[in-house]
Amino acid sequence: MLSYIILSVLLAVAPLAVRTERATHYIATLFLLVQITAVAAILQLGLVDRTVLYIFRTDTLAIVFHILMIAVLGFSMLHSSSYLKAEGVSIRSYKAYYTLLMLLAIAISCVYYSSNVAMTWVFLEATTICSAGIIYHREFEQTLEATWKYIFVCSTGIAMAYLGILLLSTVATEGTLDYEALRSVIAEGNPLYLKVAFLFIVVGYSCKMEIFPLYTVGVDANYAAPAPASAFISTALVNAGFVSIMRIYTLYSAAGEVFEWARHVLILIGILSLAVGAMFLRRTNNYKRFLSYSTVENMGIVAIGMGIGGIALWAAVFHVVAHTLVKSSMFFQVGVMRHVYNSYSINRIGNYMNINRVGALGFIIGTLVLLAFPPSPLFISEICIFSEIVSVGSWWLLVVMLVLMCVVLYAIWSRTLRLGYHANQDELHLSAVNRRLSYSALILLVVAIVLGLWQPEILKSAIDSIVTVG
Amino acid sequence: MTLSLIILYVLTLIYLSIAERFRNHTTILAIQGVLLFGIAMVRLHSFHPVEMSFIIIETLVFKAIVIPAILMRVIQKTKINRIHSSSSQFGSLVMSIAALIASCTITYYMADDRTDMIFFGVALYALLSGLILIVSRKRIFAHLVGFLVIENGVFLFSMAIGVELPMLINLAIMLDILISILILGMFLRRMDDDIHTDETDALTSIKD
Repeated sequence: MLSYIILSVLLAVAPLAVRTERATHYIATLFLLVQITAVAAILQLGLVDRTVLYIFRTDTLAIVFHILMIAVLGFSMLHSSSYLKAEGVSIRSYKAYYTLLMLLAIAISCVYYSSNVAMTWVFLEATTICSAGIIYHREFEQTLEATWKYIFVCSTGIAMAYLGILLLSTVATEGTLDYEALRSVIAEGNPLYLKVAFLFIVVGYSCKMEIFPLYTVGVDANYAAPAPASAFISTALVNAGFVSIMRIYTLYSAAGEVFEWARHVLILIGILSLAVGAMFLRRTNNYKRFLSYSTVENMGIVAIGMGIGGIALWAAVFHVVAHTLVKSSMFFQVGVMRHVYNSYSINRIGNYMNINRVGALGFIIGTLVLLAFPPSPLFISEICIFSEIVSVGSWWLLVVMLVLMCVVLYAIWSRTLRLGYHANQDELHLSAVNRRLSYSALILLVVAIVLGLWQPEILKSAIDSIVTVG
Repeated sequence: MTLSLIILYVLTLIYLSIAERFRNHTTILAIQGVLLFGIAMVRLHSFHPVEMSFIIIETLVFKAIVIPAILMRVIQKTKINRIHSSSSQFGSLVMSIAALIASCTITYYMADDRTDMIFFGVALYALLSGLILIVSRKRIFAHLVGFLVIENGVFLFSMAIGVELPMLINLAIMLDILISILILGMFLRRMDDDIHTDETDALTSIKD
């Protein structure tokens, strides 16, 4: 693990020492290979479920999300190259972008593998610092505003989470904040402290998972960052927030009646996130913000799934996996679209079907998958969540969710059709459409659809193992 | 001794709520750093060279010298002087006193025999004071000060709970916070240079 981290960090900063874009690409490819090798080594050498360096644990949850991160990172690097060339950025800015992207990937993977509550916090704060440079990359007024808000709100939110961790640490008997050690003693903790701690931690981490209440900074960050980086932030970084909350959830599963209370909090947060997503999906006039609010909505569904428990918890994890593939694909398509129109404005651009048929189809099919139309994998996860809600008799929750999801469906579908077929409002100065990028983004979507039709046994057992602990 | 230091700390928080000049805010933060050093030293049960040097770095070097120096540099570069003229000192004082009363009440209901009630209450007051600064002040610099007051509150909170985290984790947390402050200071200056503003009212160009 140590050699993996050292090698990754060295490779991440290596672009600063080279002079050409080509050399930067070689380093990025090497970085990607190191990530793949690390996961392959863990799986092949039987190093699963081992504690490494006292603060990391190679459990299934970490491995599944690391693999997903590598997949999205590979595509993100590919798309970033075209994006940056089209933007005509300086070589200095080009190298800085790749360095920050790789450092962000390292911080995220450390969040996934962290086995200690405090270290999860440290690495999450590190993701804030790495993301800041990427969000500011385009260097104009709005990116500056988004970056400031992102750093400030995330830092304040994460300071709150730290308070929660301190309260949680009152149960630590041997001074260790290891998740496993805490889990064995959490039932003896002061219930009031545990409840307040959970509230602080979830509110603090909500800025990363893009759920209510601190979801706004994530939306602004996705808006300001270059589209290929938004794809990475809106999936891999959101997953880091999810993994952190999932670990706290697993820890609290041994806390008796406090756990029941915590599950109710998650349901409430989920409903509020879903409501925010439904409301703003109708209001926003920017495709990147549109996709970000869709992330808020989907993470709301995930939070509800966690709150309900049972098969809904399994579905929540599967939902996050599928969402990663679909959402990243759609962000990449939006990146290609921006190259065509030089705009993300929903009200002004259209007729995409006649300009880039592959890209338009990718976006429309992606939307259908995102809306959970069969054979979408999200259809499976949402049906599982609904069936568990029915089985526990929470009919009110089912009704609220269905109403909100109808609003989401209308908002998303009407706007997608507008992009494909509505007359364009702006005078176009068409750039050459890079269909290669549109096709490459389709790969992730195809994988998602395959997951909707057939879930490999290895994935099913991996998710089983993740939720069994919970 | 501890009680005197704690009372002084509460006084700095009250003064912070009515202080208008940013230089005074920075000085108060430096004083808080020194007070936190004193409190941490008094509470140190036995002499551990490593632990002691870490406390010195975290409080005296980091909270009392480095951070105030960074803030002073931001003040010099951006030439910001004081909080918004429309802010009412009396209103801020009332809010601060209300926060103090709220902290005492919450502490009374929350603290158990494992926690130090006085530390707990003052830490909570520090947190609320930081949040009040962030919510009620318009200037971005005041928000940065609010964030640092919260961080100091978190430090006090860890003492109230009596948590002793491993040194490596403490170091990582400290570095994280230091880098955050550096980056926030850098972006504050950039905002002053690029969009010529130091008020949150101007940060509304991103909306739906």
